[in-house]
Amino acid sequence: MEFSFSASATKIITSTGFSNLEAGGMLMLVVACVMLYLAIWKKFEPLLLLPIGFGCLLANLPMSMMASTDAGGLLNFFYQGVKHEILPPLIFLGVGALTDFGPLLANPTTLLLGAAAQVGVYITLIGAVMLGFNMLEASAIGIIGGADGPTSIFIASKLAPHLLAPIAVAAYSYMALVPLIQPPIMKLLTTEKERKIKMAQLQPISQTVKIVFPVVVTIVCCLMLPGVTPLLGMLMLGNLFRESGVTARLHETAETHLINIVTILLALAVGSSMTAESFLRVETLKIIVLGLLAFSIATAGGVLFGKIMCKLTGGRVNPLIGSAGVSAVPMAARVSQKVGSEADSSNFLLMHAMGPNVAGVIGSAVAAGVFISLFGDMAVPEPHAALEGIIGTVEPGLTSAIAQVAGAMQP
Amino acid sequence: MEASFLEAVKVSLLSITVIFTVLIVLIFTIKLLVKMIPYVAPPAKAPHQQSTAQSSIGGQDEHIAAISATLTMHLGKSPDEFRIVNISKL
Repeated sequence: MEFSFSASATKIITSTGFSNLEAGGMLMLVVACVMLYLAIWKKFEPLLLLPIGFGCLLANLPMSMMASTDAGGLLNFFYQGVKHEILPPLIFLGVGALTDFGPLLANPTTLLLGAAAQVGVYITLIGAVMLGFNMLEASAIGIIGGADGPTSIFIASKLAPHLLAPIAVAAYSYMALVPLIQPPIMKLLTTEKERKIKMAQLQPISQTVKIVFPVVVTIVCCLMLPGVTPLLGMLMLGNLFRESGVTARLHETAETHLINIVTILLALAVGSSMTAESFLRVETLKIIVLGLLAFSIATAGGVLFGKIMCKLTGGRVNPLIGSAGVSAVPMAARVSQKVGSEADSSNFLLMHAMGPNVAGVIGSAVAAGVFISLFGDMAVPEPHAALEGIIGTVEPGLTSAIAQVAGAMQP
Repeated sequence: MEASFLEAVKVSLLSITVIFTVLIVLIFTIKLLVKMIPYVAPPAKAPHQQSTAQSSIGGQDEHIAAISATLTMHLGKSPDEFRIVNISKL
């Protein structure tokens, strides 16, 4: 083998990432650094934005093989957990283990606030359709209004996998901005007198009810909407770990180590899907705008329904707890508490707001179940691993996917 | 799958109806559960323990409520999961 210094130097230079860096990739590196800045210095949902930002950074380093689409790359393996809908339900398992359904059980009518806040999902769906998205994409975008990251990822990976990155980023970014987005809307839609309403102490709930509740919810909801089973089933299993009192080790693992590990895998996988090709599109801007619309309308929907409940109960419900119906546990409940205590420092709404807050988690999971029931069979069929080798990656869109499979089957 | 404004409105109305239906069913289920299995207060503690606790915290209900609320927020736990048995000045 003849050694040529100049040829070898050229080879080394051309094999570096610098020589392969393109404008789109550089822009995405800037986006990744902005996300890291927001996470570290602005404390915007750092547990998620930091690994998402770093995943994005890794994915956009040329020749690193770290994008979600790089078969055989490390983050491609992590991404399989998103693609095959494994990681979001595991997050729900941890959320269930962390959640106390006591306030909801003590005041079950607050479930209606969790339902009312879902109006943001559907107004956004209509808006997305008007902006040119098809129904599957619009459903995946609309669910951002549920303010539930794992649900957004779950639905996006099922109905519109090509939009996963912008949807996940929009969902988590706006969740981080809940303390900034919600208060002006809450104050705009309520009077000073309404914000000062003090709610009666919640009644204590039997431990047996707390144990039976997750089992009953799983049976009732999953029979009504089978599509919701992966999310709701895991949520309720986690809660059963917590309340049963006989699985202390599982409960502890689910609410700490498991949810932390899965968060790392999920966030890195989402970040790795943020490549220039998938992110730097007009659709991303539309999704960012629609996501803000979804959050705002969801908050307004919850507060307005809270006002209706306030009227119907003769002023016993503080409408501010309605905003917590958007999910985003427990941040949205804390916002209700903060805005309420600003009006009257002796007003403690936190526990009352936790009811609609966990109702929002159930509500957004049910909304996801409705979408799966309606459109699940129209989603892009995921090719079996064996088929991937024959037909390659399936293009988004049912028709093209079918055509691709049919084409591959032709002799 | 192309979609029109009218289709989106129909899907939205149908979905929101389903959500309200499912959650209303849940409300009645919870109410039934709570009615069937009422809360029973835990048995009182031994008289000696109770008198010790009462002597140290008697007459400070508002303080206990405030500390409980603060701990609930800080620890992210239900008030049922911890019990304040003594308050002493530093």
